[in-house]
Amino acid sequence: MNTRHWVPLLAGFLVVLVMAAAPGVVSPFMLQFLINLFMLAILAESWNIIGGYTGYASFGNVAFFGVGAYTTGVLLTRVGFPFALALPAGGIVAMLFAALVGMPILRLKGHYFAIATLGVAETMREVVYNLEFTGKGTGLVMPILRSPLPFFYLMLGILVAVTLVNWWLSESRFGYGLIAIREDEDAAAVMGINTPLYKTIAFALSGAFTGPAGGVYAYWITFIDPDAVFKVIITVQLIIMAVFGGTGTVVGPLLGALVLASVSEWLSTQLVTLAELFNGLIIILVVLFMPKGMSDLIRQRAFSLRYFARNLREYRI
Amino acid sequence: MLTLQVLINGILLGGLYGIMAIGMSLIWGVMNIVNIAHGPLIMLGAYVTFWTFTLWGWDPFLSLPVTILALFVYGYLLQRLILNLVVRAQLFLTLLITFGIEVVMVNLARIFWSSDLRQVTPSYAGSNFAVGGLTIPYVRLWVFVTTVILSVVFLLIMERTRLGRAIRATAEELRAARLTGIPVGHIYAVTFGLGSALAGAAGALWGMLFPVTPIMGGALTLKSFVVAVLGGLGTMMGAIVGGLVLGLAESFSSTYIGPTYPNAISFGLLVLILIFRPTGVLGRKEQ
Repeated sequence: MNTRHWVPLLAGFLVVLVMAAAPGVVSPFMLQFLINLFMLAILAESWNIIGGYTGYASFGNVAFFGVGAYTTGVLLTRVGFPFALALPAGGIVAMLFAALVGMPILRLKGHYFAIATLGVAETMREVVYNLEFTGKGTGLVMPILRSPLPFFYLMLGILVAVTLVNWWLSESRFGYGLIAIREDEDAAAVMGINTPLYKTIAFALSGAFTGPAGGVYAYWITFIDPDAVFKVIITVQLIIMAVFGGTGTVVGPLLGALVLASVSEWLSTQLVTLAELFNGLIIILVVLFMPKGMSDLIRQRAFSLRYFARNLREYRI
Repeated sequence: MLTLQVLINGILLGGLYGIMAIGMSLIWGVMNIVNIAHGPLIMLGAYVTFWTFTLWGWDPFLSLPVTILALFVYGYLLQRLILNLVVRAQLFLTLLITFGIEVVMVNLARIFWSSDLRQVTPSYAGSNFAVGGLTIPYVRLWVFVTTVILSVVFLLIMERTRLGRAIRATAEELRAARLTGIPVGHIYAVTFGLGSALAGAAGALWGMLFPVTPIMGGALTLKSFVVAVLGGLGTMMGAIVGGLVLGLAESFSSTYIGPTYPNAISFGLLVLILIFRPTGVLGRKEQ
């Protein structure tokens, strides 16, 4: 370990410490906001594993979120599992689901993969809508837990875990393998990387963290239905947060989540549809003006209009 | 007899899926943009028809040219002002920006027109006629006939006019097209306009058969994509065949399995076709 390693680690550790102490000082409203922020950051970091490092644009990660939420919810309310068992089960099921779905659809590339993932999410919503044990369209009601603290620490814990995994990817042989797949899949295969296996593991990892976030969400919000946990806007948010911050970087998705969740939160106090509209506008503006995200902007120290103008000109016809 | 009835229902619906897919396939084939906002364009077309019908009492079939023109202009401007700026970027960015456009369109529709279910119900909406024990609703038949006419007109534009040749040349080889003096930025915008116009026409017709809501587009984007891939990308006949296949699959499955899994059916078809025949039913090998 040299400076390059321990400085960010130490900084990260301090941030986590401050965060862990936060419930003692902040208002209940702020606490709810933080739980939501952590959740979105988990989703963005999880997406980053498959969409950022591996370069497979998944538009269906919300399916893992829904599968995790429903696994935890069903085990909690129908089977009578304690939450301590139901939550990890949600993660495992979401991970297996990602691996199983990933095996066929990760053979697809580009547009085909993107639309196939969109289809997976839509199909899962429909399946859950029609199953008896998931409560069909009426959804599931969880037991109510008075204190928000467990949710806060669980979300924080999962966020730390998924961030560490991202950091590991940026430093490890396995992570370099994923980046090689993103840059040129055929070349990666020629270099001896088992590309189907690497991609499936990346997809499964993405599901393994998105799922528990869904599980915690279900218990926290106390009520889930298919439209709430499989809705497209979640996919919109997590992708745009990762892209806004910078895909394929460790801190990018965190940064994106922090900025965009704050603005969304403020907007949704005005009008809920306004917050969604804002997400859409941000997508368009980010693609046009800063497709490499905030982390590239900061790295290049390009705080001038020229940087944006150059991006705007780069891909035009 | 039931089977024959289901068959006819499927074919009548398939025409509609066909013109949705032609629009998507055109934009994809010429500019390599998979337009996630295709469904919302269909939604917009449906609303244009709904409002001209509700506010001024225009017949939905007769107002079709107005809807088509409105969507053409909208699509032209969208490509000219926004999409032309990113059209050469990697796939992910073009996908993402159309995703952004879809979110904006859906939410603007929600704000301006609310989430209420709307329906276009001209006086002849419920009437039908019987042929040898088969019931055929007038509206569905006319919708089908209209989709056939639109497909033929579109085919003629693409095959027989200077504009069509310019579009095909631009799709084939961008730089060479530019060298021969084709204004490619304009041609791209016209292409997107034509795709949007077809989507809008599909929406106008869709509104006579099914409810119109701001979120109706999501599933239709998926279906248009499936149909375009099903038939084989870039072939007109492919899109029509694909539309018929999806129409029939949905019609049969909803009669014999139940109507609860409409999107799962189209998604299942997509996976099957991608595994067994990646170039589509009528498709050529991809370059």
